Amino acid sequence: MASVRRTKSENLFIRYLILGSWALFCLGPVIWFLSIGFRPRTEIITPQPIYISALSLDAWHMIWSDWPMAKYLRNSVAAIFGSVVIDLALAIPAAYSLARYKYRGREDIGFYILSTRMMAPAIVAIPIFFLFRNMGLLDTIWALMLIYAAINLSIVTWIIRSYMTDIPKELEDAARTDGAGDLRILWEIIIPAVLPGVITAAVIAMIFAINEFLFTLLIASTPDAYTMSVALANFTGGSDGLIYNAIALVAFLAFVPVFLVVIAIQKHLSRGLTMGAVKG
Amino acid sequence: MSRIQLTGIQKKWGAVWGVRDVNIDIADEELLVLLGPSGCGKTTTMRMIAGLEDPTEGEVIMDGEVMNEVDARDRDVAMVFQGYALYPNMTIYENIRFPLRMRNVPIEDQDRLVRRAADMVEMGDYLERKPGALSGGQRQRAALARAVVREPQVFLMDEPLSNLDAKLRQAMRVQIKHLQRQLKITTVYVTHDQIEAMTLADRIVIMQGGAIQQIGTPNEIYSDPANTFVAGFIGAPPMNLIDGEIKNGNFTSTLIEVSGLSIDAEGPIKLGVRPEDCAVVAAKSKSYHMTGEVYGVEPTGDMTYLTLRVGDNNLEIKADRDYRSELGLTEKVAFDTERLYFFEAQSGQRVR
Repeated sequence: MASVRRTKSENLFIRYLILGSWALFCLGPVIWFLSIGFRPRTEIITPQPIYISALSLDAWHMIWSDWPMAKYLRNSVAAIFGSVVIDLALAIPAAYSLARYKYRGREDIGFYILSTRMMAPAIVAIPIFFLFRNMGLLDTIWALMLIYAAINLSIVTWIIRSYMTDIPKELEDAARTDGAGDLRILWEIIIPAVLPGVITAAVIAMIFAINEFLFTLLIASTPDAYTMSVALANFTGGSDGLIYNAIALVAFLAFVPVFLVVIAIQKHLSRGLTMGAVKG
Repeated sequence: MSRIQLTGIQKKWGAVWGVRDVNIDIADEELLVLLGPSGCGKTTTMRMIAGLEDPTEGEVIMDGEVMNEVDARDRDVAMVFQGYALYPNMTIYENIRFPLRMRNVPIEDQDRLVRRAADMVEMGDYLERKPGALSGGQRQRAALARAVVREPQVFLMDEPLSNLDAKLRQAMRVQIKHLQRQLKITTVYVTHDQIEAMTLADRIVIMQGGAIQQIGTPNEIYSDPANTFVAGFIGAPPMNLIDGEIKNGNFTSTLIEVSGLSIDAEGPIKLGVRPEDCAVVAAKSKSYHMTGEVYGVEPTGDMTYLTLRVGDNNLEIKADRDYRSELGLTEKVAFDTERLYFFEAQSGQRVR
């Protein structure tokens, strides 16, 4: 039989062709809006996706001079960083308890924590608005910190828990007979051992927080508490109309840090996202 | 000084028995081995000595003091685990130092003690490595160093050699026994490997189903087993157990007959005979106890394992190193009648 035998290099070529097409499909929009960001406003509507005949830094200057972009960035960083710190401080002890101790209702608590992510955020939008208004926290980054932390707490707890359940019990028994107490064991043995999980959870929380829009819009009513995601929306209105090139640049600015972090930890990230579904 | 007494120890998880009525008195400086198949309660017993598990009933006493309410971290015991349990994020040096730090040993002494412990197990050259960069044997030696570093009252070793290959296991066994004798520290050692138990122990405790079957020196356990479980667990290959009848001092079973026995029993009985107490005799010989068909011949160099098909049973015999045969041939076998054991057919208890 005359079999159709493909050589290894042909196989490799086909593989790269498929992967390359997929990469182009995913990266295409990114390249497109980057090119929009660096062209003059007059040429935004040109049909060519990639168009750099007249490279323009107009939009770049504009976002820094006409808008308090540095402030938005600062707000974003502060709110996100703060929320991740709150999440880790609460999630690590909670995850340890869920992973290690047996008590009545442990599974229920675990499910309850996870179920907070199953709800459509819009359902609680109005109660949360009144809650923060009564606390006098509207339009502050403190409110953003709290709301981001609340949104992400469940997933952060769940990811860290999945890493902790994989730590052999022997390790803790050894530490205990070596003379360590509960807090020592958590701090010196468990946390270092699950550090990849903690970092993964922190990055995932960060990504969700950067992209959070609904609650931020609800809470931030003036530039005092605007973050990048809400600032983006503000380029779409007003007397200047739609300023596409500025929008594209701001979107790109919000995108780059996440992109870099994800590349740096992508090995851990896939593990974190499957969340212990497959026993490693 | 540390003598450990376990009195009336029971462990239950709900309706599940872990350990029932365990009483052991472990002498100071003794190396006691808890031996049994998995699930027999030996590890649970050890964990109760460590304080990692609370007995449902009974007392754990160390040097006369009841320890039940004392937390594991405050009992002066050091434990070595089957999976090494080295702290993966710390170097070997930091691993060995950890118990010293936890027990507030003066900082100026720590370095000296860590290096001494590492040298005792020949790990002095690996102190800066992380556990992940070491082989199984090196990891277990590091775990040993971590256990010996603060010279505890008691060593507890939970199948420390089970993850190592056979050759390494033998070398580590010798090292563990040497260390124990050198440091004179009371040691409880858990294993399912009877060779380990026989070679290491001052005394062996054989357990099954959560209960102690027999306590004794290796020699007592080997030559004076209390029941068929102990008889079958010790020895490699294990003792042959043959169902038969005894009447007027004559034991009979399919193709087996032993007469002139000075045993005071009648009726169904189990005969026990160790492979090393059986000898293949010449085909012409008139003095033999059993005939069987050759089922398998396994030369090992220093001896030959012979498996004979006798009725419906396979019986193991340790034959001469030069012994060879063909499958299906009939062989005659004589027992060392001084070394025969009898057990009740039902309960398996020894009949003396």
